[in-house]
Order: sequence, then structure tokens, then C-alpha cells
Amino acid sequence: MVFVAIYVILTISLNLQYGYAGIPNFGLVAFVALGGYVSGALTGRIAMIYYGINARGLDYIEDNTKIILMLNNYLSKDPLGGLLIFFTTIILSILAGALLAYIVSYPVIRLRADYLIITLIGIGELMRLIGVNYTPLVGGTLWVGVPNLFIWAKPYDTLLIVGIIVLFTILIYIFTELLTSSPYGRTLKALREDDVTLRFMGKKIDSIKIQVLIIGSSLASIAGVLLAIYLGVVIASSYIRSDWTYWPWLMMLIGGRGNNKGAVVGASTIVVARQLVAIYKHDIEHFFPFSVVWLEQLLLGILLILFVIFRPQGILPEKPSKIRGVDLEKIYREIKERA
Amino acid sequence: MESYILDTLIYSNLLTIIVIGFTLTYMIAKIPNFAHGTYAVVGGYVAFTINKILGYNPYLATPLAFLLVGLIASSQYYFVIRPMLRLKASPLSLTITTIAMEIILTAGIGMYVEYISKTLGIYGVYPAAFILKQADFDIIGLPGIFVISSLLVITLIISLYIFLTKTKIGVTLRAIIEDDELATVYGANVERTNILSWFLIGGLAGMAGGLFPLYYQMTPLTGTYMIVSIFAGSILGGITSIYTSVLGGYIVGLSETLGVIYLSKIFGPQIVAYRLAIPLLILIFTLMFLPRGFSGLIDEYLEKRIVKKIS
Repeated sequence: MVFVAIYVILTISLNLQYGYAGIPNFGLVAFVALGGYVSGALTGRIAMIYYGINARGLDYIEDNTKIILMLNNYLSKDPLGGLLIFFTTIILSILAGALLAYIVSYPVIRLRADYLIITLIGIGELMRLIGVNYTPLVGGTLWVGVPNLFIWAKPYDTLLIVGIIVLFTILIYIFTELLTSSPYGRTLKALREDDVTLRFMGKKIDSIKIQVLIIGSSLASIAGVLLAIYLGVVIASSYIRSDWTYWPWLMMLIGGRGNNKGAVVGASTIVVARQLVAIYKHDIEHFFPFSVVWLEQLLLGILLILFVIFRPQGILPEKPSKIRGVDLEKIYREIKERA
Repeated sequence: MESYILDTLIYSNLLTIIVIGFTLTYMIAKIPNFAHGTYAVVGGYVAFTINKILGYNPYLATPLAFLLVGLIASSQYYFVIRPMLRLKASPLSLTITTIAMEIILTAGIGMYVEYISKTLGIYGVYPAAFILKQADFDIIGLPGIFVISSLLVITLIISLYIFLTKTKIGVTLRAIIEDDELATVYGANVERTNILSWFLIGGLAGMAGGLFPLYYQMTPLTGTYMIVSIFAGSILGGITSIYTSVLGGYIVGLSETLGVIYLSKIFGPQIVAYRLAIPLLILIFTLMFLPRGFSGLIDEYLEKRIVKKIS
């Protein structure tokens, strides 16, 4: 359930960047990782400062388990502290995501699609490399724990976390719906279809592209934070291209681009399918002399090709832009009647 | 010779061979083939099979790697790219299919690796990360791979030149690259030329990949990491000329290897893990300041001269 929600956020983010604005972001994993790094590196340290235990000569990475235990102890009696730290982390991740997107967009924004793709892929890989090799960040090849910011709600803390994640997903969905049905959203679609005309109309294309990248990437960072808080750990080597860029792309393509409902559909179907594979792994593995991981990858590649060739518009095709306060259906009907 | 000079040159030789193929694909299909690095890995695993499983000299794998990967490449063209071109797919969709192809090929290699590990692991056959350096022979005191890869690059450039200018297929290929509709009017068989070209390109990558483990360790993911370097070399050289792509390939290869050595002297050995950053930075700088690469510089010069002559 949680993974559906998180992947829905990611798919919506990707949809906004590619589905609406036509910017193929193949570096999504970089921002998810960034959200994770913010949670891994900063949440605990902020909590340490908040509870005043950072002066005891402990290294955050070396003594991580001990520190997390201490923090959880404090947090179990302090709901306000937990919530405060949580929201600080979210805000920090939004800022970090926006900043990274801004820095990254500078060389990338004027590039053709294929150059953009490789640059973003490269940056995604680089993020992962930094996390895995720079141990003081998130424990390098091992892991870093994230204090359980909701431990005060025991025994309902997991439920609460899930609830909050679902809440965030719904909010992000509403946010994106509002954004895309506004004049700004229509500008984005125009950007995707015909940016030359847009330039003629005086819109600054580069700034718009940068804005979209920033918004989309911040959403992805939020997803990264939520994921890290849910899992309670941050493992740098887990932020692989395949899970966090390619699968979301498939989800967006299946759901249909330019279509937030489609994003939900795409994300849910894929996550459920993969969970099923994970559950029935043993039965499946019986037939093959290799682990199911590769079969999943094979499926990913084949589905990508099939959807791109046969149904590029996805399962839920894109409807013409919604304009708030205007009922397009009625107008179409009236035109038909008069004709 | 100092060992690091050997390292850098062998890597650059092999990278350049792969970059030449990649640039050719870019010229023919007008899209990057993200599966190109993985082609090389397939070739590498052919070499693995020949050497570690069947016990022959890994150099014998070269023609087999050429054939197998050539077949894979032409299949990719025939079964994926050609139908999409017929359906007037956008270049972005095509690029996505090459990414999908990369995923599929890596999965195939992964399955093969696990299958071999399960069935033959007890015999000390470890395909997950292997190197065949010990099976190499020496020529005048240098590793065979060094001599062979260097000779291969030179032979390749000369052969490609002859192929593209003196043979019918090569000239047809150049015509198709320029304007395939017009070429068809002149009687070019676009289908056949494309299939053959993709076969050749795949073969080249497979060959280079087959030679790669003779000096360097290879894993199923080597190609996925290498694609950044390949792309960088191709873009730096410029995607309109395979001769400048040689230059691009060498610059990236040398920067990567020498850069890592130099940086590790300053920052210590842990910097080696960030090796990917070097081609990435080259890529970004090229795209920002020299977007059409070296061949773009030549093209610009030629264009200016043409404009001068016309006006």
C-alpha cells in the first residue's frame, strides 16, 4: 500500500515533467536518493541537536544504532518533537530537491531529448555513487537508520506513517491536478506540443522548463523522504536506476501521459504486480535456474517496448485540458446541436 | 612500458572501437542506442564462455562475439526499430526502446550468469565478475591485448574508410545517412543496407567487448556504466563523422584513466569509485560549449565556406 502511494507520487512527478511539459527526466532516481539522503543524513542529526545529545562525542555514522535508540527513546514521549522534525525534514528535502534540480537544469535545459536523457542518467548514477562511497553521508555501503519520528503513537505508529504517506499522496495529486488545470498547466502542454509558437507568444521557455524540473524533482524528493521514514533505514546502494527511474517510466507510459488518474492506475498495477511476483517468488523460481529479479527486468524491458510501440497513449488516454469554470462537454454539445 | 600507460591505451583503444560503432548508429538511425554498451558485455561473456567453460583461447571468441552481437543488433533493428519507423514513432520513443533493449539484454546476461553459476559454480567458474587476463599472451614483452587492440583500431579506421568510400554498400550507406528517400529513388535498398549496417555495428561492439576482459574485469553491469563514457566520446567527437569520433573516444578514454590516476594521487585511492564523474563532466562541458562536437567544428567551417561561395 505504501509503495503504491510512493510510486504514485513518483509517477505523478514524472508525468508532470514529461507527460505535460515534454521534458524526459531519466534522472528521477537522483531526487529520490536525495530525499533519502536528507532523511538519512539530516533527520537524525537534527533530532540530536533538538534533544541536545550531539555534544557527547558520538559519530553519527559510527554509533548510528546507539544514537537511533537514544533518539527513539526521546521521541516516544514527545509527539510534538516528532512532528516538528518530520516537517522540517520534508521542507529540507523540498529545498534540497529544488536546489539540485536548479543546478542540474543549468547545463541540461536547452538540450535535445536524447542528450538530456544521458546527462540525467549520468547524474542519477553519480548520486548513487556518492551515497555509496562517501560514508559520512549515509553510511556508504552499509546503511544509516532513520529515527522513528512517530514512535510516540505506538502501537499505531506504522499505521500513522502509512496514513501520512497516503495523505501526502492525495495532497500531491490534488496539487498537481490544480496545477495542470490552470493556465500554467496549459502552458506546459503547449510547451510539449509546440514550443516555437510559445516562444513567439513571449513566454520564457527556459524558465518554464526549469520551473517544471524543480517542481517535479521536489515531489520526487518528498517521495524519497517518505520512503526512508517508512523503511526506517537509508541504504545508498538501493537507489538503482532500474527501480526508481525505469519502473516509474513504465508506470507513466502504462497509465497514459498527461493524465494524473493514469499515473495512479499505472503505478498501482505495476506495484501490485511486482508484489505478487515477490510473494510467489519461490513457486516461480522453481521453473528457472536463475533468480526472479532478471525475469522482472526482462518484463520491464518488454513491457516498455510493447507500450511504446502499440499504445503510446497509455491505458487512460489524455483528455483535452480541463479549464476550471468552463464546461467543455457542454460547449461541444452545443456546437454539435447547432451544426 | 609503465603499466599505467598500458592501462590507459588498452582501455582507450577498446572504448574507441565501441564509440565508432555508437557514432555509426547515431548517424544511421538518428538516435542513440543505449544498448550499445551492453552489446560489448554480451561479447565479453562470449569470451568468458569460450575461455572458462570450453577452455579455448579467448581470442577465438572474437569472431563468435562478432557474429552473435551482430545478430542481436540486426534483430533489434528489424524487430523493434523498423516497425517503429514505419509507425512514424518519435525519436524519443525510439530512444526509450533502446533503453528497454539495454534492460532486456542485461537481464539476459544476468540470467546466463546465474545459470552458469548454479550449474558450474563448483568448478570455480565465476561469471559474475571475471577477467581473462591470464589467458593472454605476450608479444615482444607487451600484453597481447595491447598490440591487438591498437592494431584493431588502426585496421578498423582504414577498413571503414575503404568500406564507406570504395564499396557499393558503403557508399549506399552514406547516401542513406544523408537522405534515405532520395537514396531510394536512386535504387538503394534501404532495408538491406540497414540490416547489414546494424549487423556490422553490433559485431564491432561485440568484438571490442570480447577483448575487454583480457585486461579488465567484466560484470553484467559493465556496459550499463560504460554507456556514459561511450556517449561522451561520441558527442565530443561529433555525431556526424566517425573519424572525429576516434578523437573523442581517445580523449574520453585517456581522461578517464589518467584522470583517475592523477586524482587518486591528490585525493587518495577512494576517489577511484567516482570514475564515472569524469566522462559525465566531459559530456556536460561538451554539450554546453561544443554541442556539435569536433565534427561540428569541421561542419561549421565548411558551412561558412559554402555560404561565402554562394554569396
